[in-house]
Amino acid sequence: MSLPTLALANADVEKNIANSKNWAMQAGDMFNQRYSKLNQIHKGNVGKMQVAWTFSTGVLRGHEGSPLVIDGTMYLHSPFPNKVFAIDLETQKILWKHEPKQDPAVIPQMCCDTVNRGLAYAEGKVFLQQADSNLVALDAKSGKVLWTVKNGDPKLGAVNTNAPHVFKDKVITGISGGEWGVRGFLAAYDINTGKQVWKGYSVGPDSEMLMDPVKSTTWADGKVTPVGANSSLKTWKDDQWKIGGGTTWGWYSYDKATNAVYYGTGNPSTWNPSQRPGDNKWSMSIWSRDVDTGKVNWVYQMTPFDEWDFDGINEMILADIPVKGKPTKALVHFDRNGFGYTLDRVTGALLVAEKYDPKVNWATHVDMKTGRPQVVSKYSTAQNGPDVNTKGICPAALGSKDQQPASFDPNTGLFYVPTNHVCMDYEPFKVEYTAGQPYVGATLSMYPTPGSHGGMGNYITWDAGTGKIVQSKAEKFSVWSGSLNTAGGLSCYGTLEGYLKCVDAKDINKELFKFKTPSGIIGNVFTYEHKGKQYMGVFSGIGGWAGIGMAAGLEKDTDGLGAVGGYKELNQYTELGGSLTIFALPN
Amino acid sequence: MPVRRPALIPALCAALVLTCTAVSAQDKPAAPLYTVQEGYKVDAETMKGFRAWRAAACDRCHGANQEGMVGPSLVNSLKTLTKAEFITTVTSGRLDKGMQSFGNSPVVMDNINQLYAYLKGRSDGAITRAKVEEIK
Repeated sequence: MSLPTLALANADVEKNIANSKNWAMQAGDMFNQRYSKLNQIHKGNVGKMQVAWTFSTGVLRGHEGSPLVIDGTMYLHSPFPNKVFAIDLETQKILWKHEPKQDPAVIPQMCCDTVNRGLAYAEGKVFLQQADSNLVALDAKSGKVLWTVKNGDPKLGAVNTNAPHVFKDKVITGISGGEWGVRGFLAAYDINTGKQVWKGYSVGPDSEMLMDPVKSTTWADGKVTPVGANSSLKTWKDDQWKIGGGTTWGWYSYDKATNAVYYGTGNPSTWNPSQRPGDNKWSMSIWSRDVDTGKVNWVYQMTPFDEWDFDGINEMILADIPVKGKPTKALVHFDRNGFGYTLDRVTGALLVAEKYDPKVNWATHVDMKTGRPQVVSKYSTAQNGPDVNTKGICPAALGSKDQQPASFDPNTGLFYVPTNHVCMDYEPFKVEYTAGQPYVGATLSMYPTPGSHGGMGNYITWDAGTGKIVQSKAEKFSVWSGSLNTAGGLSCYGTLEGYLKCVDAKDINKELFKFKTPSGIIGNVFTYEHKGKQYMGVFSGIGGWAGIGMAAGLEKDTDGLGAVGGYKELNQYTELGGSLTIFALPN
Repeated sequence: MPVRRPALIPALCAALVLTCTAVSAQDKPAAPLYTVQEGYKVDAETMKGFRAWRAAACDRCHGANQEGMVGPSLVNSLKTLTKAEFITTVTSGRLDKGMQSFGNSPVVMDNINQLYAYLKGRSDGAITRAKVEEIK
């Protein structure tokens, strides 16, 4: 590992996140912990919390991510057309507004709603990752465009939904489009010029993945082992890797001590596994790359040969915790596949892999020696084959958790996880690839987990050191909102009906606060302080994969309605519309 | 599934087979748009329409049962949309509304009439479930 040299941006971002009054990154910090040291709002008074002010984005559809707050200014984003606002916290006046011109052809190229997961900020620049793949730097004072760089080709379905992340002097971004056969990558751009510094593909030849057969390692045979030559190519049929997916639309984290960026890759294309025999490496994997060079330190594949669309893109939370009794520099990840993973983030060693929803059934367990899940034949869509409807798979393609980020509370040592409690039927079929056209190859229907509480979500606490669920709080719908924990002993999250809820971090079944915002919440809860007062906020605006059925009425109640079936009752609770609600204690 | 030979049992046939005929301007019946038995067994051409529907992942926006999600319900839309309007919409898209253009999709363009027949059958209520099978 190269010795990290501290670049200015890192120092600036670090300064901003060290000041708890700010919310300077999408996760509040570089470790993706989503924890705030602010404690003015606490267990004893959160029940008195009131709405302080609200703001409409003027955009419908799903509002993911959250605003940023830096030194008295709030920067917020919207779904497509990806408007950006700077708001003066003193007056709540709009200081400037930026609305990019984007080709509307991008809208239908977005798989699961026109979401955008938010902005990044460093050194007086605001970074916006537009849907049309353009990465843009704006002057934080004026909103003026400083530079723009094209990150992908939207004509081929390469679009973006992820938030850019600033680590050191680079903006790191990924790509979406796994349902268009886009070959995924992670790329780093210079924050001052927008010039590409490196780009590492998820699949393909070693050189293009920035993979070193000897120095890059993986977990095999119970130990950390060099990946060897052609580790990806060997696991694909013919040229299928060229349209092989492995996109990178989640949240990334960074550890200065290892100088590494940590992230996950998505599903292999297509959703019809029979067309791509092999492990399809390195889709569905956890990655550690050197931030300066992009070179792969280590990689671990969670779901070899995906048969269920269990993207591995969910956030990697870095925390120093005891794992099986031993103090560990851990990486904790709640995968779509229903397993909660704990790895050594320095070496990439697999330490824990356990189900964080007891109803997960597609695999019995993860073999700790090989690191491979043990697939149950009954739920194998590949073994059952194309044109056969494989029924009762848990979790659904939405995963036991999707992109909605979890939080870590250093006071309890636990992880607070917003989860989906949904199962599916999955019928793969043969598809031909046409550039720029959808390339899916499966029909799905999703429904609440049978034989459970009837709801479609749980809010849970998780012990990543042992791989055990500590508490579980049932929710009517999936919890599709990023959670927040605070030094006030609180854990807060939003619900699809539109409630912001705060619970006692020590007993999550104790609901201490509940308020219904204008629309369903798929945004992430955040907090900041202004003039001695703590505020808490969240975007509402139903949409995303869970809420995508909201935009149209449903005609009748039949089984197997795809993503809508279980969610259609949402119509009785909420309607489209993007707004920000900011809460505070009464004066 | 037992294989039905509707031609051999005409009495049952009337109850089980629906054909929909587009009436031309000269009031001469054209070829049937689709043939369906028991609500889900369709002729070979309509089957091609279903396959095009699936291959193009139309269900992403219109729902697995054409009931509408982020895109409108096709069960409703095809009650008012003419065939010409349908073909224009599919070919060029309605980009600002999120409907992509399928003009470059061979599987859709080569089967556009069959796709219309399948969706019209669903909209008419003659094809009673989204997943169909070919009449053997």
